[in-house]
Amino acid sequence: MIFTTLEHILTHISFSIISIVITIHLMILLVHEIVGLRDSLEKGMIATFFSITGLLVSRWISSGHFPLSNLYESLIFLSFSFSIIHMISKMGNHKNDLSTITVPSTIFTQGFTTSGFLTEMHQYQSAILVPALQSQWLMMHVSMMLLSYASLLCGSLLSVALLVITFRKNIDIFCKGNNFLIKSFFFGEIQYLNEKRSVFKNTSFLSFQNYYKYQLTQRLDYWSYRVISLGFTLLTMGILCGAVWANEAWGSYWNWDPKETWAFITWTIFAIYLHTRTGIHIRSRTNRSLQSMNSALVASMGFLIIWICYFGINLLGIGLHSYGSFTLTST
Amino acid sequence: MSSLLLNPNRTFSLLSQQVLKASFSSLCSISNARILLGSRPTAHRVVGFKPRASRDSFDAEALPESNTKKKSRNNNKKIILFGSAPPPLSEERGGRAGNANGKPAAEGSSWVFLQRAFKKVLAVLSNLPLAIGEMSTIAALMALGTVIDQGEAPDYYFQKYPEENPVFGFVTWRWVLALGFDHMFTSPVFLGMLILLAASLMACTYTTQIPLVKVARRWSFMHSADAIRKQDFADSLPRASIQDLGIILMGAGYEIFLKGPSLYAFKGMAGRFAPIGVHLAMLLIMAGGTLSAAGSFRGSVTVPQGLNFVVGDVMNPNGFLSFPSQAFDTEVHVNRFYMDYYDSGEVSQFYTDISLYSLDGKELMRKTIRVNDPLRYGGFTIYQTDWGFSALQITKNGEGPFNLAMAPLQLNGDKKLFGTFLPIGDADSPNVKGISMLARDLQSIVLYDQEGKFAGVRRPSSKLPIDIDGTRIFIEDAIGSSGLDLKTDPGVPLVYAGFGALMLTTCISYYSHSQIWALQDGTTVILGGKTNRAKLEFSDEVNQLLDEVPELVTIDKNLNG
Repeated sequence: MIFTTLEHILTHISFSIISIVITIHLMILLVHEIVGLRDSLEKGMIATFFSITGLLVSRWISSGHFPLSNLYESLIFLSFSFSIIHMISKMGNHKNDLSTITVPSTIFTQGFTTSGFLTEMHQYQSAILVPALQSQWLMMHVSMMLLSYASLLCGSLLSVALLVITFRKNIDIFCKGNNFLIKSFFFGEIQYLNEKRSVFKNTSFLSFQNYYKYQLTQRLDYWSYRVISLGFTLLTMGILCGAVWANEAWGSYWNWDPKETWAFITWTIFAIYLHTRTGIHIRSRTNRSLQSMNSALVASMGFLIIWICYFGINLLGIGLHSYGSFTLTST
Repeated sequence: MSSLLLNPNRTFSLLSQQVLKASFSSLCSISNARILLGSRPTAHRVVGFKPRASRDSFDAEALPESNTKKKSRNNNKKIILFGSAPPPLSEERGGRAGNANGKPAAEGSSWVFLQRAFKKVLAVLSNLPLAIGEMSTIAALMALGTVIDQGEAPDYYFQKYPEENPVFGFVTWRWVLALGFDHMFTSPVFLGMLILLAASLMACTYTTQIPLVKVARRWSFMHSADAIRKQDFADSLPRASIQDLGIILMGAGYEIFLKGPSLYAFKGMAGRFAPIGVHLAMLLIMAGGTLSAAGSFRGSVTVPQGLNFVVGDVMNPNGFLSFPSQAFDTEVHVNRFYMDYYDSGEVSQFYTDISLYSLDGKELMRKTIRVNDPLRYGGFTIYQTDWGFSALQITKNGEGPFNLAMAPLQLNGDKKLFGTFLPIGDADSPNVKGISMLARDLQSIVLYDQEGKFAGVRRPSSKLPIDIDGTRIFIEDAIGSSGLDLKTDPGVPLVYAGFGALMLTTCISYYSHSQIWALQDGTTVILGGKTNRAKLEFSDEVNQLLDEVPELVTIDKNLNG
């Protein structure tokens, strides 16, 4: 009972903090930069990270197994992975735009998880682990898969941002566009702009904007590549762990189960992405940007495929992986 | 001392001599002649102007000096392979060419033709767009394989993809069946694509990746400042010494090669090799998968508790390479089958206690298997996969016990239903009546009387009798049957080796191969570098390292004297 209460409290804390973080982001975007607020953003993300961690730990203790046995728990873990990626990218102290992806992603997954849609399921299912899941591999396989989904999602979202920025004729940053997502991509941009503005005060705004746009797309391209390669490594490990586990539990390391197949499709798509990046002979700038456009297109396709793999298969509830399917809510 | 510093050229000639002797300790004696001002701020680097050393900074000499000394001593052993020549450029190519020339002239033309054809095929196969096309096709086919239901009878496809009303306007059952998409993952189209991909993998490794690594391994000094400035990352450090740069790069994990005024440094060479490893691991997995498909045996059997079977009787060969082994003459005896339940009544685990006997009746092995914990013996593996309700043991009015065979009424995944019937009265009459018993699992039996009305629920373990229409029934025991899967798979070791290699090499592939060239030009060090993956991190890292390079400051004779 105490764990249920604790879980409840932690869920709400994490969700409220992250809502505040998003609001502050929007305030900075729409009003103006305040240094103190930016600090509080980081603190807010750290607090979110710890409360999600606490949520997972309390669930682990109360259920006695690693909390990754159904969709609800895997979604919590997904938002946990997003916040891990956020923390790591902050620790690395590189100038990247990952936080513009990780923060909204965390709020969306966390919001979706804690919304009433899935609550019935997590109350009902928490103590039960079907025989096939009772293995040490559960922790390894599922955590690897979710970490890889999280980083691949981040990476491919960066690519989507790259596409959006390239195809928009003019980035009017302060316009009141109603697309929330696109706005969130520009958070980092604002900060960067303010830094640069003092330096480039004399240069004409248009050329500055072009130069700036080029630099931003380069940066997005580069970071999406790095994050996707990390996610690809994790995905490889996750799939292989899954294969070894399947050989223990189902009697074959590969069964062409729908989920497996889609994980393999995801793997193939991102392998294609990595191969489009190997344009070692490309020297000229236009060709290079064309190449980065191509790979960004592949990555944004990968974004859809991850969702099919992660959610679509569970929605259909087919195959051997249908542990966390939506149909459980009705039973 | 100070004269040495005032004449940089002399310093460098002296340096290069000493360095050629590969004695770095002598380098330290030179660095004694230097006054260090600690780290150099970035802003000053390019500007290249620094006020002359004052008395104050001269006093500060002692501490950083000794630090540098220590560092260089530590690094002493790792340093510099001046003598070793770079690997030859065209070893392979030369060898092949020599081979071709060595053939007799008569054979020559056909040989050359073959070789040319081979090269052409290689060139086509190692084409990157082709490989990408193959991968996309495979991905698309796999996606199609999950959309179209697999392994159904032809009638199913006749109904689902009728000719009158084709899906997307053209997909009919003829397409599906002709291309073998009803069994996608064994269809010739899919397997053909996999084989093509494997060929591409091999060709690409041979024609593209290996030469690439050779180029990367072929390090060379750059002797012109322009060439260095053309690199992705370029910078120049005024008033610095290339030796200091070398030490600092070494501290950051670079391998250093130093000759005269030129420096070459690299790290993360493994990142260049790893993609080859990834490709080879993929090939290994594919080979293992082929062996699994061609050489394995599979079998599945449902054994009631207490019965036995011979392994060889249930195993079916999978492919043309499936050869039965000695271990197939083993008898498997199911000693006991039982389930564990959660408090809520759900099954938590299935257990089967299995003994293996040789044909002469000797017990070879005994183990309780469960899901996730199979039994392995002599090349075959027994998995716990399923369960059934074999029989119900009852006594009727004190007679018995009888075993009533349970019939499966509904077998739908986890929701099973078994039932049996106990006739009462004259069993030969045309409309025989009796008691029906239904069970969802081995825990509780639901009984219905002759009219079909609910009579009660009994647990086999409870020993509580139930009276139905004057018949007293004891449910003694519920006998389950264990669903076992058996297999032998000669491909597993190969596949696992491939898995291990793939995991390792994809991890290593994340490393970036970085190369740095530097040239001492007067008192300025010109530096350029490139890396294949972590481009932004690389420039950050190098910038940070450059900040650590101590600045040389010339001292006026007046100040010294």
